[in-house]
Amino acid sequence: MEKLVHISNLQKIYPNGTHALKGVSLDIYKGEFLSIIGLSGSGKSTLLRCINRLHEPTSGTIEFSGKDVTHISGSELRQYRKSIGMIFQHFNLIKRMSVMDNVLSGHLGSIGTFASLVGKFPGSVKEKALNNLDIVGIREKADLRADALSGGQQQRVAIARTLMQNPELLLADEPVASLDPATSHSVMKYLEIMNKQHGCTVVCNLHFLSLVRQYSTRVIALRAGEIVYEGKPQDITEEWFKSIYGEDAVEVEIE
Amino acid sequence: MNDKVKIYLLDVFFGWYLAITFHRVFYYHVLLSTDSPDFTWNLMLPYVGVAIIFSVMCLLTGASLGKKIISSTQKGTWQNEFAINIAWILILMTFVTSWVVTKVNIIQMFDHERLNAAGRLFSSLLQPNWNILQKAIMAMIETIYLAFLSTAIALPVSFLLGFLSARNLMKGNPISFALYNILRIITNFTRSIEPLVWAVIFTVWVSSGPFPGMLALMIHTIASLAKQYSEQIEDIDAGPMEAIEATGARPIQVIWFAVVPQIVIPFLSFTIYRWDINVRMATIIGLVGGGGIGSMLIQYQMLSQWNEVGLIVLIIALVVWLMDYLSAKIREALR
Ligand SMILES: Nc1ncnc2c1ncn2[C@@H]1O[C@H](COP(=O)(O)OP(=O)(O)OP(=O)(O)O)[C@@H](O)[C@H]1O
Ligand SMILES: [Mg+2]
Repeated sequence: MEKLVHISNLQKIYPNGTHALKGVSLDIYKGEFLSIIGLSGSGKSTLLRCINRLHEPTSGTIEFSGKDVTHISGSELRQYRKSIGMIFQHFNLIKRMSVMDNVLSGHLGSIGTFASLVGKFPGSVKEKALNNLDIVGIREKADLRADALSGGQQQRVAIARTLMQNPELLLADEPVASLDPATSHSVMKYLEIMNKQHGCTVVCNLHFLSLVRQYSTRVIALRAGEIVYEGKPQDITEEWFKSIYGEDAVEVEIE
Repeated sequence: MNDKVKIYLLDVFFGWYLAITFHRVFYYHVLLSTDSPDFTWNLMLPYVGVAIIFSVMCLLTGASLGKKIISSTQKGTWQNEFAINIAWILILMTFVTSWVVTKVNIIQMFDHERLNAAGRLFSSLLQPNWNILQKAIMAMIETIYLAFLSTAIALPVSFLLGFLSARNLMKGNPISFALYNILRIITNFTRSIEPLVWAVIFTVWVSSGPFPGMLALMIHTIASLAKQYSEQIEDIDAGPMEAIEATGARPIQVIWFAVVPQIVIPFLSFTIYRWDINVRMATIIGLVGGGGIGSMLIQYQMLSQWNEVGLIVLIIALVVWLMDYLSAKIREALR
């Protein structure tokens, strides 16, 4: 399998001294659906944000398609980020703007500054935005304000926004953690569509093992900033589960 | 500093304060009903002497207010009671001193002649002279426009300063963080000077009239709005910023798409409220030569033409009430 991302010995120490990642080495392969599990505070979000460089790694290297991106900056960094989509637990839409404008904001990396500030997106881009809203099944909401939508719908807008980037890689930071079980599946289904139909590699932080088993092709577990498990989702045994989540943990099912 | 030293210095200060207020205020003004002798630095010596004796007594007996403030004294002991009594005496002496310094004179206030004068004043205030109505309205309009111009000119400047003095946007790199700190100091200093004082400065600089009044309000408005704006920016949800940044957008696009939509409404509401404040301020500033209705008011007041003053007061009250009402309505609608 072809490597998309190659991370070696990645360390992240926050300015306040928190040692969030303690030498993580990881390969992400083209086309896979990788889940990251681990307790709260184990460093899952930090790892994702180091990959698209929202956070600066303290040491170690990150290679993307064979190119070292650990210390790129300026337009090179923006170009790099453009090829990586990201969705968040709290959706992070711009609440006061329309659904359509939120989707269009996914195109900001590819449009001139002035044109974007005056809101002049080309017709073809608008068409693409509508098309993306179609893909996630909420085209009819295009003109509503983003905060008028339900949580699940907002996350679908966020997916439509990252689709604007035609991302090679999608980073999803607990995309369903603030949604109910039924809605969770509808959102996960769209991540699956991105993965299978758009050929987008997905890295997804998840809390529910049932979702991990159902959607991902591979799983890693973090504990206190280190990778403690790597394998197929079906192979997570009771024993592994306890070593990842602690002795007293009981698995909760989500259907 | 060591706690013992702090306690001792506090007791010295309390002793000195008690000595000086008892002697200069209580003894001369209250007991003898005369003025206290002119102040010279030599007079300080005996007070300091008393203060040192007092503080040493406090130190030796443990009956010390300084100790009660800095560390603690045990409840139920006489030392604790003593410290509490000292505190009450300090408050009492401060009140007596304020009374003396303010030259409060209640007897004079209800003197027959004075009451008559006040009665004449109030009755002429209630009979406004409508002949100057047109002139007063023109002056009021001048004031409103002056307030509007000062707010309008301040607006873009404060807008820019608001971003540059928002901690969350500026803390990223050392240069911008230094700029942030410098701007904070300048705007805090500017804001701590009242518009009235700015007006005095500008009337000296560019002679009196509406223009210096406008400048005074503008300066103060820039500093106040910049502060309110930056606080609003510091308060925004960082999530959307992160999301827009992750799309590969430039910093200016991040601000325009993720920051600005979160702040326009509060900004508008602050700005309208500031205009409202500025109309009131412009009136006051007129009193020191800043033009408009305030200047007109002070002219008639100096000529003791109370019927004219009455009309002007009436117009000011009306406009201030109206502005207050309108700005509240607009801000409500914006929410
Ligand atoms: N901006 C930051 N500054 C300082 N410390 C941080 C910051 N972000 C995260 N941390 C710390 O780094 C550690 C890892 O946090 P991270 O958010 O990566 O964990 P997580 O696995 O995503 O947890 P959760 O499941 O709660 O989202 C935690 O101890 C956290 O307190
Ligand atoms: Mg997290």
